[in-house]
Amino acid sequence: MHEIGLEAGLRFTRGHLPIAFEARLPARGITALFGASGAGKSSCLRVIAGLDRDAQGTLRFGTEVWQDSPHGVFVPTHRRRVGLVQQEPALFDHLSVLGNLDYGFRRAGRPVHLQREALIDAFGLGGLLQRRPATLSGGERQRVAIVRALLSDPALLLFDEPLSALDDRARSELLGVLERWHATLELPAIWVSHAIDEVARLADRVILLDAGKIIAQGSLQDTLTRLDLPPALQEAAGAVIEGVVASIDAQAHLAELHCDGGTLWLPNDGARIGARLRTRIAARDVSLHLAPATHSSALNQWRCTILAIGEASHPAHCMVQLRAGENRLLARITRRSRQTLGLQPGMTIWAQVKAVALGG
Amino acid sequence: MPRLDSQDWQAFALTLQLAGVSTVLLLGFGPPLAWWLATTASRWRKLVGALVAMPLVLPPTVLGFYLLSWMGPQGFIGKLTAALDMAALPFSFRGLVLASMLYSLPFVVQPLQNAFEAIGKRPLEAAASLRAGPLDRFFSIAVPLAWPGFVSAAILGFAHTVGEFGVALMVGGNIPGQTRVASMAIYDRVEAGQMSQAHVLSLLLVVFSFAALLAMSYLRPRNRGDA
Amino acid sequence: MSAMRVMRRKIWLLASLALVALALCSWLQQAQQLHQPQNQERLLVASAADFRPALDELRDDFQRRRPDVAVDVVYGASGKLSSQIEQGAPFDIFFSADSDYPQRLFDHGHAGGQPVTYAIGRLAIWSTSHDVGHVDIADLAKPEFGRIAIANPQHAPYGKRAEQALRAAGVWEQVQQRLVFGDNVTHAAQFVRSGNADIGIIATSFTSDGSTWKGSHAEVPPSLHEPLRQSFVLTRTGADKAIAREFAAHVQGEAARAILQRHGFGLPETAKEP
Repeated sequence: MHEIGLEAGLRFTRGHLPIAFEARLPARGITALFGASGAGKSSCLRVIAGLDRDAQGTLRFGTEVWQDSPHGVFVPTHRRRVGLVQQEPALFDHLSVLGNLDYGFRRAGRPVHLQREALIDAFGLGGLLQRRPATLSGGERQRVAIVRALLSDPALLLFDEPLSALDDRARSELLGVLERWHATLELPAIWVSHAIDEVARLADRVILLDAGKIIAQGSLQDTLTRLDLPPALQEAAGAVIEGVVASIDAQAHLAELHCDGGTLWLPNDGARIGARLRTRIAARDVSLHLAPATHSSALNQWRCTILAIGEASHPAHCMVQLRAGENRLLARITRRSRQTLGLQPGMTIWAQVKAVALGG
Repeated sequence: MPRLDSQDWQAFALTLQLAGVSTVLLLGFGPPLAWWLATTASRWRKLVGALVAMPLVLPPTVLGFYLLSWMGPQGFIGKLTAALDMAALPFSFRGLVLASMLYSLPFVVQPLQNAFEAIGKRPLEAAASLRAGPLDRFFSIAVPLAWPGFVSAAILGFAHTVGEFGVALMVGGNIPGQTRVASMAIYDRVEAGQMSQAHVLSLLLVVFSFAALLAMSYLRPRNRGDA
Repeated sequence: MSAMRVMRRKIWLLASLALVALALCSWLQQAQQLHQPQNQERLLVASAADFRPALDELRDDFQRRRPDVAVDVVYGASGKLSSQIEQGAPFDIFFSADSDYPQRLFDHGHAGGQPVTYAIGRLAIWSTSHDVGHVDIADLAKPEFGRIAIANPQHAPYGKRAEQALRAAGVWEQVQQRLVFGDNVTHAAQFVRSGNADIGIIATSFTSDGSTWKGSHAEVPPSLHEPLRQSFVLTRTGADKAIAREFAAHVQGEAARAILQRHGFGLPETAKEP
């Protein structure tokens, strides 16, 4: 179902940066708002939440009109059913974890359909309920903040770089939890981040923001394998491939992923057979061969067709856009290699990816 | 041990009543004003803030003089009370309460304002995203988090009113049994050279106020997160 | 027990204590009021602070003759009391330290009658540390007399007269550096009494109440300054009260004049109807 969720046409200024946010989001799924620091992502989120009132334009969610500047309409934050999770979790210090969780839950009328206990368990908060926020670790606090937002029965979820302030271990733990939760998510969500791996693992769609302007929006696959990404986002360029776990090599700790266009071996992180997994293949990790290589340490080889060749940020490099089945890949190689191999759009080529470059 | 006469006891009781009533009333009017000062973006903010601080700047007798003129038959407050068929405020206990409230206003509003400002925007924004409207946010988030400020405001307001002299003298008239508060009673004794009675009355006032302030300070939690 | 519950308990406890305290205070107030017989008449007198020793005696004398009347006196600065009367203070009669304030009250329609002089104030040099029994006001220029306390010449009648006397004696310039000003003549006297000033030019009436004011003094010749005619005036509220008129008459009577003289005041001409 692809009814429209959020429809935004807003213009405002932050510092000296004029920001224009024109987007239509579906009614389900996570849309990542991705860009470099200072691009204006958090500002957009605040305006969508209604925390900053100076934006001009219109903002609609489903059948509700949240903002309509020409007609003087502005719905304040507490009447927009948004759930907000910020980088630094603003937990209420004077309440226990349980008090925090129930804050929005009570005000939403304790809706049963939220399955409060299951949610608390899913995020591992069962043993923390009587604790005070000040005694929790960063990861625990952020989990409380997420469940608190979920329990307020929101219609739209807004995540503002929720994992940036966490240490690596907490971050990867929480990312895993969120991935599993994503599968059950029935709501639309916007996930702001400047970390591409988060986007790759969680997002269904992505909006690319650069210096206050939306330069691309669309499915994850299509957007991140474009050749016209600005230099600030080029490091993020790459393919996000989704597949099903077909087998596990327990001794070698590898999992075999069947994707459209090929098979990928990647380090096994506890995946089960039959599970759907995503993996990101950065452009820099793909090398190209005219013929399938036999004596190489790279475990993965795909047969692809070259779609297009474009520039990369460094003049020595170029970006090659490839198609394999329904998936697209990007490969970043030197211009010299391109010339040597005589690469042209339409050619068949073999793409190699090291398994170590994948996973976790 | 010099005996205190009935007028001294009355003065003592009057002081406690005045300080108690004024502090309670200020704790009712003060928080909304402090909240507005802490959160508004209005251009009147600085002006109102300066006005609130004025009683700190003016000499008490001068402040008392202005209040007396405003509450008197020619002043705007006096005309208002007359129009509402209320008894005149000067030289009455109610007039003293009003004067004390204005005199101690900055001592109540400023700690509250600081406490509200210290909360910052973020908890309140989080509460708004959790469906809490403005009044709800004030009572469920701002007040609990600013609680130490409330205790300070109560302590300062009470103590300041107990020690009030110049303003109360002008506005109250030092009438025994009605507006002669303990500070004036002590002063009168000193002026008359009756030092031993002055000492006793002072000691009494200090001891009781100390006890009251100590009791109030028990309400202040030692640190955030445990009380 | 959770922290919030502990806090709530404390608040309830404190609130109950406060209510009990307030209730006690009210009870105390009412008990005092019951002490006073209901049919007792009440007279509220406002007086300049420096008149206290004499007025206390005058009042006691009056109360002996009229025990059914309660006379309360509020002492303060003449200027302040005068302002309060203009704003409707419930005093019945006002004894000022000069004549200007009562006259002003009369001119502005706040008085119940013409101002009447009740005493003539006199100045004295006074010290608790030096023997000034034979000191002349011109001698004050000598450096051995350290700080000299006078009432504030800006607004205190005794202060103005002190300045006039010093100027007449030709030593005002020399003593400028050593002057300290009290808010009123009582304060000036306190500076001397506490030793913060070696010498003071104060009201003679203070020096005559031997028990509270020790030390030595010398009178300042009245010719050196404008006469200090101290007047009283009935207020508008007081003018309607027979008892106020009685008190006014008493203050001008023979017994009163004797008391005033004993306290070092000069006496006005014979009694006038206020």
